[in-house]
Amino acid sequence: MKIFIITFLIIPLFASLSSFIIKNKRFAEYISLLSSSLCLLGAFIILYFSISLKTISIFNSAIVIDKFSAYIILLVSIVYFLSSMYSISYMRLAMEGEQLTGEEFNRYYLFLNLFALTMLMAPMINNMAIYLIDIELTTIASAFLVIAEVTEKSIEAAWKYILIVSAGISLALLGTILFYLSGNIPGSANTISSLDWTTLRLNAVYLNKDIIRFAFVLIVIGLGTKVGLAPMHTWLPDAHSEAPSPISSMLSASLLNTAMYGIMRYFSITGKGIGFNYPQTIMVIIGIFTIFTGVMGIINQKSTKRLFAYSSIEHMGIISLGFGLGGAFGTFGALLQMLGHSLAKPVMFFGSGNLLHKYKTKDIKKIKGVFYVMPKTAFLFSIGVLALIGSPPSVTFISEFLIILQSLKNGYYAVAIVLVSLLIAAFVSLLSKVGSIVFGKDDNSLNIQKGDFGLASVLPMALPLAALIILGFYIPGNLYRLLMGITHIIIIK
Amino acid sequence: MPLYIYVLEDLLVALILLSSFVMLSSRWISFYIHAYGFQSFLIFVLTLVLGIESQNIDLYFVAFLTLFVRTIIVPYILLKMIKKFNIKEEVKLIVKIPLSIILGLLLTVFAYFLAYRLISPFSPKIVINASSIALSLIFIGFFMIISRFTTITHILGLLVIENGIFLLSVVIVPTLPIIVELVVLFDILVTVVAMLILSMFMKAQTGSFSTTMLNRLVG
Repeated sequence: MKIFIITFLIIPLFASLSSFIIKNKRFAEYISLLSSSLCLLGAFIILYFSISLKTISIFNSAIVIDKFSAYIILLVSIVYFLSSMYSISYMRLAMEGEQLTGEEFNRYYLFLNLFALTMLMAPMINNMAIYLIDIELTTIASAFLVIAEVTEKSIEAAWKYILIVSAGISLALLGTILFYLSGNIPGSANTISSLDWTTLRLNAVYLNKDIIRFAFVLIVIGLGTKVGLAPMHTWLPDAHSEAPSPISSMLSASLLNTAMYGIMRYFSITGKGIGFNYPQTIMVIIGIFTIFTGVMGIINQKSTKRLFAYSSIEHMGIISLGFGLGGAFGTFGALLQMLGHSLAKPVMFFGSGNLLHKYKTKDIKKIKGVFYVMPKTAFLFSIGVLALIGSPPSVTFISEFLIILQSLKNGYYAVAIVLVSLLIAAFVSLLSKVGSIVFGKDDNSLNIQKGDFGLASVLPMALPLAALIILGFYIPGNLYRLLMGITHIIIIK
Repeated sequence: MPLYIYVLEDLLVALILLSSFVMLSSRWISFYIHAYGFQSFLIFVLTLVLGIESQNIDLYFVAFLTLFVRTIIVPYILLKMIKKFNIKEEVKLIVKIPLSIILGLLLTVFAYFLAYRLISPFSPKIVINASSIALSLIFIGFFMIISRFTTITHILGLLVIENGIFLLSVVIVPTLPIIVELVVLFDILVTVVAMLILSMFMKAQTGSFSTTMLNRLVG
């Protein structure tokens, strides 16, 4: 197992270094695709091990992979695979149409694989402080991806991103140190001298309750900056809209989940220490506020990629609300929503990447009649938006339905009403915006050449879309058992 | 603990607080960097004293790494950057200096209040003093980030926050695993280098290190 995990982590590292050293563009594209497909395979193997066997614990428990970690690793590798496939199409078109230099191209593939490596590593790490530093490294790797094309706007986005998130992570580090303090009160009988989440969770009842309360709030603020929980979300729309589309999808669909994972680890420690009421209330309040912010951003949006960035904020709000409502339905729904988010967001970001290359703009008002210009993209894009907002035959529908059900079950009728009305608002505004993009009156004055781009621009949209819809009809027994297992891990008393 | 340790620790944390106020009250970037180096040096001395007192070999190690990274390498990189680009511009302040000192004082008082509420039930008085100053460093770092519009001062604000967290961890949990301190130091180095590279890109694009023109992305 040790060797397997090491190989699993070395693959992306090797891909990034070799593509940077051998400055061959085709080589860089295909080694990234190869490495990401190997990682996807590896993620399935890890998942298989953690379902059938017990928790994987190696290197003196420095690396611990339970079902939850394996699930996040799987989500990250799915998005890594899709993004590296789409990068082939996107970066070639960027080289042709947008004066991307060869140097920027090589830097892009160096950091793409490094970014994937840091994200794959994060859920494996047992020590929470090291996990936070790893999250910080993902920030740095992705900040260099945001400035893949160096423009004033992308520099602004990257600067805001790195500054706000680093400050946030330092607050989370403060929270982690307070967690350590809560187990090391001078003069108390039980000292827990460890920052490993396994140890902390096992001994959560011995931690000092007052300090845990304060520390958990710091963690939610700190890691919430990375997750994009309002009001710490301000970096997110900028970074997502200025990054190249494959990176936007990696940032949105896998990075936010990786940070959410950290919050949930602390959530279960805190819940075990002082009862689940306190962390759940915090998650519900911040979740509702985040959904509200995201929906308001969607309604007022004029740019395609910012639209989907705000939709990511909304989804993260739904996920944290689901975890906050707790119970079997809420937690299960939130986990399923993570999967739905990871599958739906790449479709939307890749679609808007295709539109960006065709129309050379992100302005929603200037993009019209995609249905006549790029039929395949338009088809996938419009089905993708339906799946994204949770219309019935998609997995997001099931997850959002479960979360609403849990809020009714808990007796939080106000939460249910607010959630449903905000979801409807998001539904209507996203549909009308995408409707005008796809079916709007074609403006012939623009002189746009008709026709789709190659296979690599359409296939990465079709694959997750198919998975979304199939999972909406039928959730396999293995997935169900996996998610139930994670639910038990998170909310076990 | 012998009395002189108490006196020494109080003196050192008071000087650390003073150095953060030096940063708040100065208009020139090189002042900031020197004040930061001085502050890190004081933290090094404090860590060393605590290490000698508690005979904790890990703390020696952490102290010398702090000396190496925070006191020598980081200020050196920053000063070199300033020399290379010949930055003589004043720091643009959104809050004037007297007001920012008053706000800094208020933040310090708030940090004392917080430390009394949070840590006092189970700690000796000496720890409370040092930990409240550590908390106030964190607040002052945040204040420096939001009130000054230069990339270098943003970086220094983050570094002051990290200093505060480090001081807090050394004072209240000296048994923190050494691997944590190591990765935090590594993280500081990587972050500073990455942010400097970004600000060089910014200089190449906009011709300045000032962040006031970064206002295009809204909505």
